[in-house]
Amino acid sequence: MPSMHLSFYSTFALSSLGLAFHRTHLISALLCLESMMLSLYIALTIWPVENQSTSFTTAPILMLSFSACEAGTGLAMLVASSRTHGSDHLHNFNLLQC
Amino acid sequence: MSPYTKLIITTSLLLGTTITLSSSHWMMAWTGLEINTLAIIPLISKSHHPRAIEAAVKYFLTQATASALILFSSLINAWTTGQWDITHLTHPTSCLLMTTAIATKLGLAPFHFWFPEVLQGSSLTTALLLSTVMKLPPISILYLTSHSLNSTLLTIMAIASAAIGGWMGLNQTQTRKILAFSSISHLGWMTIIVTYNPTLTLLSFYLYTIMTSAIFLTLNTTKATKLSTMLISWPKMPTLNATLMLTLLSLAGLPPLTGFLPKWLIIQELIKQEMAPTTTIMAMLSLLGMFFYLRLAYHSTITLPPNSTNHMKHWHLTNQVTFPIAIFTSMSIALLPISPMTLPTP
Repeated sequence: MPSMHLSFYSTFALSSLGLAFHRTHLISALLCLESMMLSLYIALTIWPVENQSTSFTTAPILMLSFSACEAGTGLAMLVASSRTHGSDHLHNFNLLQC
Repeated sequence: MSPYTKLIITTSLLLGTTITLSSSHWMMAWTGLEINTLAIIPLISKSHHPRAIEAAVKYFLTQATASALILFSSLINAWTTGQWDITHLTHPTSCLLMTTAIATKLGLAPFHFWFPEVLQGSSLTTALLLSTVMKLPPISILYLTSHSLNSTLLTIMAIASAAIGGWMGLNQTQTRKILAFSSISHLGWMTIIVTYNPTLTLLSFYLYTIMTSAIFLTLNTTKATKLSTMLISWPKMPTLNATLMLTLLSLAGLPPLTGFLPKWLIIQELIKQEMAPTTTIMAMLSLLGMFFYLRLAYHSTITLPPNSTNHMKHWHLTNQVTFPIAIFTSMSIALLPISPMTLPTP
């Protein structure tokens, strides 16, 4: 189904563009990361349906669990940056410049 | 940090590395990379200093993006060819995206911008882990997929890494940033040979790990995080200062020390593949690194007493465990004579 492929490609590409062009808040970058993971999850779920193979049906769960851990880590970094830098504004992250 | 946390983090790092090294399916490789990323974030942000938190945020964002890109490119390959095997990556879009994802994971130019800042924000021991252990899974994926990655892009990135590692390291005074740029230029050397002879990539990586571990452990003993601290580090362990100079020159690739071996074999292989201009450019660019290694060696060893330094001497003598330092330093100085072992057995 090429239309399905197009929707996954465009979801992932738009989310990664949103992550790359983050402007002010760290949380918007984390949201884009989560939407990348969501598009990968739905793609992994649709894959066995498309290819009629039943031996891969637990892969989306594995991927989702790791992306949930990553989301938790990202939120912990958000809280930590609020404690040290006062906000999650990304232009405050300039202590380590060359 | 409590011993339980240290145990969990150490076990997770070893587990993630082992999972990726022993995987043949892309999901397993991705899993190992994710476990590694999650395990090292607490180590970077341990001290709750603003710089450490900033380094941890930057590391997390870049590595998570690269992992998602790896999974996405393997998904594209699986849709179009049905193959999830790491060595059977064939779709062209997938190969291109995988090249950029692995470059981001490793810190190859032009995806290197996170690396000096993350190393600067973490402690010396964590910087050692970030430079050596965290590079092992992506290097193994690079080795396994070397025949299917885009070789033009890899060569361009390798030359750019050598250039950026050399030039950006010239103006630094913080030792962690200098070692970050040295890591970037060594990665450039490793990447330029990966499409022709991937074994040399692995050899170069192993020797680079040994030399970088020796340097980081030595700097950790004298707690030298900037050049001015290196000037006054000689009272702490005078022998260590002398061997630091040799280890730094080995990292620069000076014969007859060990660091010359990977450069020699890589230059030989590149000349055999008729890439003489590329070889000349790489050799010239590694001279830039030579300059800042010599500057580090000068500040630590050649300014020995009796001289007049304009800094107060620190008399904090530490009783560090020096057994790993001894092993890595002697290996990084004296391993060149075993180079005939790299020849294929008849």
